[in-house]
Parts: sequence; C-alpha cells; structure tokens
Amino acid sequence: MSWLVIARKEFEDAVRSRLLWGVVAFVTVMVSVTFLIPLLVPAMESGVLAALGGASEFASMLVPIVALVAAYLAIAGERESGSLRLLLGLEPSRRAVVAGKFVGRSAVVVVGLTAGFLLAGVVAWAVYGTVPAGAFLGVLLLTDALGVAFVGIAIGISAASATRSRAMTIGIAAYLAFALLWDLIPQGAHLAVFGGPPGASAPAWFVFLQGASPTGAYSALVMNAIHATDPSYPAATTVLDGPVPFFVEWWAFAAIMVAWTVVPLALGSIAFERADLN
Amino acid sequence: MTAIETTGLTKRYGHDVYAVNDLSLTVEEGEVFGFLGPNGSGKSTTIDVLMDYVRPTAGSATVLGYDAQTDADEIHQRVGILPDGYSLYDRLSGRKHVEYAIRLKDACDDPDAILQRVGLAADAAARPAGTYSKGMSQRLALGMALVGDPDLLILDEPSSGLDPDGIRDIRELTLEHAENGGTVFFSSHILSQVEAICDRVGILDDGQLVTVDTIDGLRDALGAGSTITVTVDAPPSGLAFDDVAGVSSVVVDGNEIHATCTEPTAKLAVLDRIRETEHRILDFDTRQSSLEDLFSAYTHPTDDRPRTEVRS
Repeated sequence: MSWLVIARKEFEDAVRSRLLWGVVAFVTVMVSVTFLIPLLVPAMESGVLAALGGASEFASMLVPIVALVAAYLAIAGERESGSLRLLLGLEPSRRAVVAGKFVGRSAVVVVGLTAGFLLAGVVAWAVYGTVPAGAFLGVLLLTDALGVAFVGIAIGISAASATRSRAMTIGIAAYLAFALLWDLIPQGAHLAVFGGPPGASAPAWFVFLQGASPTGAYSALVMNAIHATDPSYPAATTVLDGPVPFFVEWWAFAAIMVAWTVVPLALGSIAFERADLN
Repeated sequence: MTAIETTGLTKRYGHDVYAVNDLSLTVEEGEVFGFLGPNGSGKSTTIDVLMDYVRPTAGSATVLGYDAQTDADEIHQRVGILPDGYSLYDRLSGRKHVEYAIRLKDACDDPDAILQRVGLAADAAARPAGTYSKGMSQRLALGMALVGDPDLLILDEPSSGLDPDGIRDIRELTLEHAENGGTVFFSSHILSQVEAICDRVGILDDGQLVTVDTIDGLRDALGAGSTITVTVDAPPSGLAFDDVAGVSSVVVDGNEIHATCTEPTAKLAVLDRIRETEHRILDFDTRQSSLEDLFSAYTHPTDDRPRTEVRS
C-alpha cells in the first residue's frame, strides 16, 4: 500500500506549499467571473444555464492548465533534484511511485476544483438567485474528471521526462495541442470533405472528432449533462441531421476521457520503469 | 550467505563509455566492505545497479541472494541505502522524512530513536530539511537508511560534507551495525575513511576492479615497509647496497639517498654501510609507506599496478 503513503504525502505537500489554496483561489475567481460575464454582456443569452455552459467552456481551457501545473514536476522534478533516489531506496516499485503521484495530485486537483466551483456556485446563486443543482453538480463532476484526465497526462509526461525542462516543454506542447490545436482536425477534415466549414448541421464523424480530445469529450459530456436536465439546452448530438450513431453517444465520450487519463499514464509508467535513473 | 555478488557486471553508456566494466565481486554477510576508488571510477554506478536505479548492460548482480533486477522489492525491504547525489524534500521536516521512510518501509521504528541515533536534535528535526547543512542532511539520510533495521547497509560516500564529529559518528554507527551481525558496503574515495572500519576493501579504477584484499593484505602488498632517506655531505659515490639484506631498492638524488627497506633492521644496516665510507651523514629520516601511496599507485593510470585478489 505504499502508493497510498506516497499519495498522502503528495497531498500534504500541496497543502504545505499552498499549491492547493492557489488552485482553490484561482478556480473560484475565474469561474465566478465567467458566471457573471453573461450579465455584463447585454447581447448574450443571460440565463443561468447559459452561464453554466459558459463556465464549463472556460473550464475546458483553464482546468488543463491547473492540472498540468499541479502535476508536471511530480516525478521529473524529484528525478532531477535527486530525492527520487531516496524515495526509490524506500519503495523500489516505480509503478507504485507513479500510482501514488497520480492519486495524490489528482486529489489535489479534484479538491481544488470542487472547492473553487462550489464557491463560484455561491457567487452565481447570489447573482442569479438560483442555481440548477442537477446541472451544476453534473458540470462539477465532469470538470473534476477533466482535471483527473490532465493529471494523468501530466504524470505520464513527468514519468517519461528525465528533466524538469523537458517535462515543461512536453507539458506546454500537450496543452497547446489539446486546448488550442485539436479543433483544427475536425474543421480541416470538414473543409477537405465538403469544401467549407460546417453550418447549422454537421456529420457524426465531425462531432466525434471534436469530442476525441480530452477537452472535446468534456465539452460534449457537459452539453449532454445540461441537456439532460433541460431539453431546451442543446446536446452534443443536436447538430446531427439523421440518427445518432453509437460513437457519439455519451458513453463513447466518457470512454474517450478515461482513455486519455489511463493511456498517457500507462505509457509514462512504462518509460519510467525502463529508464536508468542516475 | 553472500550479501552482494556481482558477476561480469558491465554498464556501458553509448558505444564505448564503460562506467563499470566486467566487475565480479563478492561481499560476505557480516562483513564491513570498503568500496574504494577515485571519483568517476564506477562506484556509484555499481551501487545504482544493486539498487535497480540503473540496469546493467551485461552481467548480473545479487543482493542478499536476490536478483537486483527482478527482486528489487525483496532487496529494498532488507537494505538501507544512503545514496550518492540524493536530495531531501525541502519543505518536509527531518522528523517527517523519517516518518515517511517508516511508513514506506512498513517498519515499526520510533522516529525519535532513529533521529537520536544519527545525532539530530529534536529542534533540528522539527525544521524543514531545506534549512539543513550538508552534514545535517547526511545525518538525516543516514537515519532514513537505518529505518527497518536493514540486514545490509549501503553507504555511498557517507562522509562527504561531514565534519570530523560526523565522520566519527558514521564510523561508530557502521561498527555498531556490523556488531549486530549486519553487513556494510561502504564506498569512499578516501582510503583513510574505510581503513579503520573495513574488514576488506575493493579498489575500483576506471570501472574495473583492480584489487580486493584485507587492509593487512594491502599492507603486505606494499612489500616495501618503509623508506629511509639519508642526507650526506656530498653526492655519494662508490656506494653499493646490493648485499644488504632487506633493502629492496635505492635511489640517489643529489645528496640524498632513498633506500626502501622491507625489514626494519635494514635501515640501520643502510646507515652502517654509509658510515663505512668517507661520507658524513648530515641527517636522516624514516617514513612508513602509507596505504595512500598504495591506493594512488593502484588508481594512477600511468603506473604499472599489481593486480591481486584475496578472498576472506
């Protein structure tokens, strides 16, 4: 059970270094502001559901940064400083080290995001007078899941990197790829196939490609979650003309998020287990 | 049972950089073994292989009968390591470090007892390790190595950064561990630090084992027990020591005669032989050849070095 000992220390470290409080404060302020934006911009639809949707869109940019920053040094930092030599002297299983780091940093991100979201929820409640509990809870859980997915990616990167600077380089590249560049893939494919950007409707494969990144899957799941509580809010598949194929069902996007959590973690762990640590 | 056994152990980086080259070494249980060699000779790499931090290119290593690569779990349960090039967790207090080690090793030690053994006072142990001097860090890391009462203690350059008090404490802890039946594998680049405590020493140079012997065996290997240097009034001539028993070599340097003697009485014979001539003796000096001389002879790449191996 040494992974649990390591996870606990990771969490305590985050409390000691005030990383956790930083995450809580950052998330609270940023999410509160996005809740308020629909009120400040008159042209926008100003319902609380729209505000929640807006907050989730913002979260899909913000959460990857929070999770990557909170976890990218977890292993590479210890490897470069040399404290890993003490740690592996006590617990030689590198898989246990990776598991402990993943669980501990995930706990930090989940606690930070949950606390930040709940505080922002209080702000939203004060402003709108009501908060749709079901949709809010759904978005919160999905945001936590997105955080965990990016912790998995960050720990995978950290485990595979020999130095802090390499972990940082790959981490930034991963963020740019997922949060900013991924959308070019479905758009480019649509352009290649139909000679233009999608209009009011889009083919199922376009929806799938959009949702194939961790942030894309998150956005699709958030739409479905809010749609489930209020059918007037669009679901991920609302843009489809015909029937809904299985690969754009909600569980397909859930599977994509799990895969984005587990696969980078596993690959990083394998690289770490094979590495010479000197 | 053997505590450590390496067979043809080789670690190569790139195509032709050998950190460790065909190392075969056996350390028996209950021994205090000194692992000597200049910096960069492959001591730490060897230890890294024993601890499964790095994987060998060829050959194998066992620790306490377990394969270093496949049974790392079993080994780490029974081994305490003070590694080279480690660092502590800056924000974590000394005491928390020891508690962490106890929990990770699933041991039942009392953290205060460990801290006391390595000479870290309670107020120092309550401070974050980021504020520690090198000596305090070294004491704390040694304390973490002692957690779980390991059968084998691997100390990689434990004396570096320590003051004489610290070096003495390390020596005492090492001897204490050995008296309780434990094995100690003690690496150092300074012979005098292992001389007083080690049953046997192995000297590593450029990734290769150049000798394994007891300290006494090394002294014997010196052959030349001591050197007498005699200063005479003029450059000596017509002197011959060929027939003086116990003199192995004579070097004349200006007014000085250096005679290497294998027997103590030979020194007097050298003086007698000089006094038989017309030369006047102005001064003389005798010096015991030190193990350091031998150590540097073994590890000096330009010298022809003797290769011997003696198993205890």
